[in-house]
Parts: sequence; structure tokens; C-alpha cells
Amino acid sequence: MRSPRTRFSTLFLASALSLAAAAAFAADPIKIGVAGPFTGGSSSMGVSMRDGVRLAADEINKAGGVLGRPLLLVERDDEAKNERGVQIAQELINKERVAATVGYINTGVALASQRFYQDAKIPVMNNVATGSLITHQFDSQPENYIFRNSAHDSIQAPMIVDEAITRRGFKKVAILADSTNYGQLGREDLEKALALKGVKPVAVEKFNIKDVDMTAQLLKAKEAGAEAVLTYGIGPELAQIANGMTKLGWKVPLVGSWTLSMANYIDNAGPGGEGARMPQTFIQEPTTPKRQSFIINYLKTFNPKNARIDSPVSAAQGYDSVYLLAAAIKQAGSTEGPKVKAALEDLKAPVEGVVTTYNKPFSKGDHEAITANIPVFGEVKGQRVVYAYPDDFKKASEVRVKDPNAKGALTATKK
Amino acid sequence: MQILTQLIYSGIALGMIYAVIAFGYQLTFATSDTLNFGQGDALMLGALVGLTLVGLGLNYWLMIPLVCVFGALQGAVVERIGVRPAIKIKSEFGWIMSTIALGIIFKNVAENLWGRDDLKFPSPLPESPLKFLGANVLPMEILVVVGALLMMLAVEFFNRKTIYGKAVVATFNDRDAAKLMGINTGLVITFSYALSSLTAAFAGVLIAPLTLTGATMGAVLGLKAFAVAIIGGLTSGMGIIVGGIILGIAETTTGFYLSTGYKDVPGLVLLLIVLAVKPAGLFGKSAIKKV
Repeated sequence: MRSPRTRFSTLFLASALSLAAAAAFAADPIKIGVAGPFTGGSSSMGVSMRDGVRLAADEINKAGGVLGRPLLLVERDDEAKNERGVQIAQELINKERVAATVGYINTGVALASQRFYQDAKIPVMNNVATGSLITHQFDSQPENYIFRNSAHDSIQAPMIVDEAITRRGFKKVAILADSTNYGQLGREDLEKALALKGVKPVAVEKFNIKDVDMTAQLLKAKEAGAEAVLTYGIGPELAQIANGMTKLGWKVPLVGSWTLSMANYIDNAGPGGEGARMPQTFIQEPTTPKRQSFIINYLKTFNPKNARIDSPVSAAQGYDSVYLLAAAIKQAGSTEGPKVKAALEDLKAPVEGVVTTYNKPFSKGDHEAITANIPVFGEVKGQRVVYAYPDDFKKASEVRVKDPNAKGALTATKK
Repeated sequence: MQILTQLIYSGIALGMIYAVIAFGYQLTFATSDTLNFGQGDALMLGALVGLTLVGLGLNYWLMIPLVCVFGALQGAVVERIGVRPAIKIKSEFGWIMSTIALGIIFKNVAENLWGRDDLKFPSPLPESPLKFLGANVLPMEILVVVGALLMMLAVEFFNRKTIYGKAVVATFNDRDAAKLMGINTGLVITFSYALSSLTAAFAGVLIAPLTLTGATMGAVLGLKAFAVAIIGGLTSGMGIIVGGIILGIAETTTGFYLSTGYKDVPGLVLLLIVLAVKPAGLFGKSAIKKV
């Protein structure tokens, strides 16, 4: 017969073990993949996005994590290259075993990489890439694991067209788009949106990444009598367009996709880049308490040059993407892909973000958190992006929430 | 007409950018039959070093000689590490791999030192365009053309008129004979590499205010310059200028008259034609390789 003493110690040992196991479980972090270009021409977006993500993850961890577990970010630089994106997707899924991935700046990289997540049933939250096709890539499959909280091109293109044609009354416009997936899909959307207004662009021109001379493209637009140039490209080349205009002494308004707010556009174009307008989901102005605390924390933590976030939109959307995921994981009570996905499609509690308050942002058939009524127009002024219309600024403290019936978006369909 | 003038101006400016880089290929080919495939990266390093010096408060014009010294040192290093061992063992291809490898290393170093974003290089001249024969030119573009021509003239003058230059030419004509005549051919080859990287670094600070400055700026430019060197002929300084201008104008005019999507095609078609019809280049002297 065992003495009570031994029995006690066995009990003690067992309970200590189970406690230790519980502690180990609590410390077991939830891995979230972060993929984006942290170097190269689109790095100002990638790095701002990553910093926004880091800020959100830090805040969540300080508040006790999700399901009692801390978030662990696994950051990978895809260099804006499709093949790197594919490698990273496989690494994050098979080696790191992430619960979900946020990121993607470049539409091409997103389209090439996210099929692996779709196959592995792991949710992807696209927080910057805007190609219309992104959330519709797997429309033919019963379950879609691809979500987005950035303003997709089917919203942006009509906004750009509306600004140029309706608000400012230009009759003749030229389109300049880069030769990447991003530029060419955007150009298609612009042409569609123009067609809805019965306008045909007077010139549609293309340029390559790293092109240093835009004379031919600009001359064609000028000769065709364009009154405004609509752009779809990224910072450095957009700056070359503005510089080329200065050189030709031909100054017409630039209206383009949100990338005209990139720091490397503003810096490289200098005074020639002033006045460019673009749709923005977020402008670095403390218009709500949430936005104010986000801006203050961001500036304090990452200390960007001239107290200007390199890409405020990317930072804000990166930040929000983590909160959306965290809310879904919390609601699902699990990190299993299908459950998190189901929770995302049916978020019960509103998520207060920087861009907007996400009240039922996604549903089974709608994986876009941003609708046409949310973005406003920004303008480059004094080397930063400000509200283009004082009215928008005045009303900025009223958070624009998702309106599934908002007019103005092109219907995106899988080709 | 005004359009055509504008296109030609831009084409010439673009072509001269290619030509100054291509000129560096020609310099090393002339002495050692080898090329520095890291020429684009030498240009990038020159531009970034220049940008840093300007950032430290140095005047643009004072910065140029310093960048040239840096370029010369960098070229000498490339020759010592990458090319000399290959020449010593008479390897036909070793230098190709080693100059490419060094180029990649330089690019990675630059990415770590300066980041991978494109930076703005402050223009030393006013950025407002000048009107000239009905079309616009930037003062900086004129500087590129003039600077490139002056640099090439200086090098040509050096090669033809000075005793050291004659050593370079002698080394090109027959390396072994030159050695027997008491010329330190090894030193001449090192010197030609130093000179070639010096021109690249100079080209870098010359064009940086027009293009953007960053670790990746050399790649596309280096490749286009290579095409120019082949079209013009690797043995002719004149050919390099003409080749550059042809390629530059071909790009801008096809961009306008055909389609901007095809603007790189005519230049490359020309490259293929030249290779098929006159492999030594439009102005090159075809050399018979003795085996």
C-alpha cells in the first residue's frame, strides 16, 4: 500500500505537469505570415504596410494576444517578384505553418501566390494589392479563402474617371499605364469606366518599369490633345512622367490610381509632381481619435522622415488587416483555416479600424471590405498628401462605413 | 516637325546616356579583350557615392573628381580580383562569370548601404526646360551630351597622343609583343579597368539627376549599353557614340510612331542585323583571332 505522502506527490507532479502544459500552450504563438516587397520600387508601400502590421500585432500582444496566445509575425520580402511570392507562399504554408497571411502589394505577386493558400485552406488578407481579379480568382470554387481590405481597381478606376470627367469636366483624356499586371489590369478598368461615360481615351500608352524617358508617351498624349493624364503605375515611373511633363513644358493634371501618393513619387517628382490627385482610403490627418492614436504611435515607433508616413494608405490598411484577422480568429476560437474563413465571412462584432469601422465587412459572396463610398480624393500638396476637397476634410471625422449598395464600382468578373 | 525634333533631342540625350556606359566596355576590351559586365553597377556605385557626397554638403562640381577617384579604385579592384586570375590562366570565360559576380556583390552592398528605394539626385542645373529650335531640352540633358563627348575626347586624346596611351594601344595590338618591348601589360590592363570604371562612375553622376538613383539603376542601363557597344563596334569610340544615338532615337521614335509597347524592339532588331551582317559592329574593325 502506498503512503499518502507518495500519493500526494504524484498528484502534485501530475498537476504541475498539466500546468506546465497549459503554460506552454498559452505561449504557443499564432503565426501570421506577412508578405510584401520591402525593397525595390514598391518598397515604400511594402515597408509602410509591414510597419502598420507590426504596430497592430504589438498592440494586440500587449493586450494579451488572441485566444490567450500572442501573434507572431513571419515577415518575408517578395521583392515584387512573382516567383519569390510563390516560394514564400510555399514556405509560409509548409514550413512556418501560418494561420493566415496578410500582405501583397503587387497584384501580379498576389495572383501568382495565393493559389497555394487557397489549396491549403488558409485565409489571405490582401491589404494593399488592388487588381480587381484578386478576390475573384477562385470564384469557380465553392470556398474562397482570399479577402481584401484595400480599395480594388474596380472602385478606383471609376473614381478616377469620375474625378477627371464629371467633377473637373475634361473631355479628352490620355491613359498612361505601366506594362505590369497592375498597370494593364488598371488600364482595362479605366477604359471600361470611361466607356460607361461615353468617353474614349485619346491616347493609351504603355511604359516599362525602370524606363528613364517618357517623351514618346507624353508627346502622343499631347498631340492627341489630352487635357488630363490618367495614370496606372508605381512611384518611380510616375515621377518620370511628371518630370517628363516639366521637360516638355506641357502641364496637364495627373489623376491616377492611389500609387500617386507614394513617397518615391512625391520625392522624385518634386515641384513637378504637385497637384496630382488619387483615391485614398486614408490620409495622414488625425480626423478621428483612432486615426490620431494610430498616427502618433506610428510616428513614435518608426520615426519616418519629415513625420510623413511613406505610404499612409498601406500603413493604415496593414494595421486594419491584422485587427480583422484577429477578430475572426477570436470569434472562430481556433486558428484552423476553414473556421477563420467562416468567421471572417460572418464577423459578429464591428472592428474599429483606421480606415473605417468594419461592420460585417465580408460575406460569403463578397470578400471586399472597401466599397466605393469609402475612399476620398487626395492631392499632392507641399510634398505630402492632403484632402483634395475641403468638404471631405470637414466631414472626415464621420467614419465612412461599408455600403454594399454603393454605386460606382465596376462589376468585376473572372475572365 | 516640332514633334520629330523633340523626339530626336530626347533620343540623343537617351543615346548619350547609353553611349557613356558603352564607352567603358570599349576601354577594357581594347586592352585585354575582356569586358566588365559589372559596368552598370560601377555606374550605380558612382551615382550613389556622388549622392552621399552631395548629401554631406559638397558641391556637385567638386564632388565629380572624388567620384572619379572612387570609380578608378573600384575598377582596379575588379581587375585584380576578377579579371587578372582569368587572364593569367588564359581562361576564355572566367572573367565573364567573375565580373558578373562582382557586379552582383556591388549591387547587394549598395542595397544594404543605401537601401533599395530610388532616390532623388538633386540637379546642379535649373530644372526648367530650354527652348531650342522649337523643342524643349533640359539643361541637364545638354550637360550629359557635352560631358560625355568631352570625356570621350579626353580619353581618345590620351590614347593617341601620350606615351602612356601609346602603351595602351600597343597592348591592344599585340599583348605579347608589347610585353617584350618592356611595357608592363598587367599594369596597363589594370589601368584600363580603372579608367573604364572611372568613366562609368562619372557617367553615373552625370545621368543621375535625369534618371533616378538607386541600387537597381545599373541593370537595365548596363544591358542597353551593351547593345550599343555591339551595334557601334567594341573597338571604335566613334561607333559607340553613333550606336548610342541610333538606339536612343530608335527607342523614342518607335515609341511615338509605332507603339510604346514596342519601343525596345527596333534597337534589338538592329542588334541582330548587325551581328548577322557585320559582327564587329558598324564601325568596328574585324580582327582575326589567331589560335
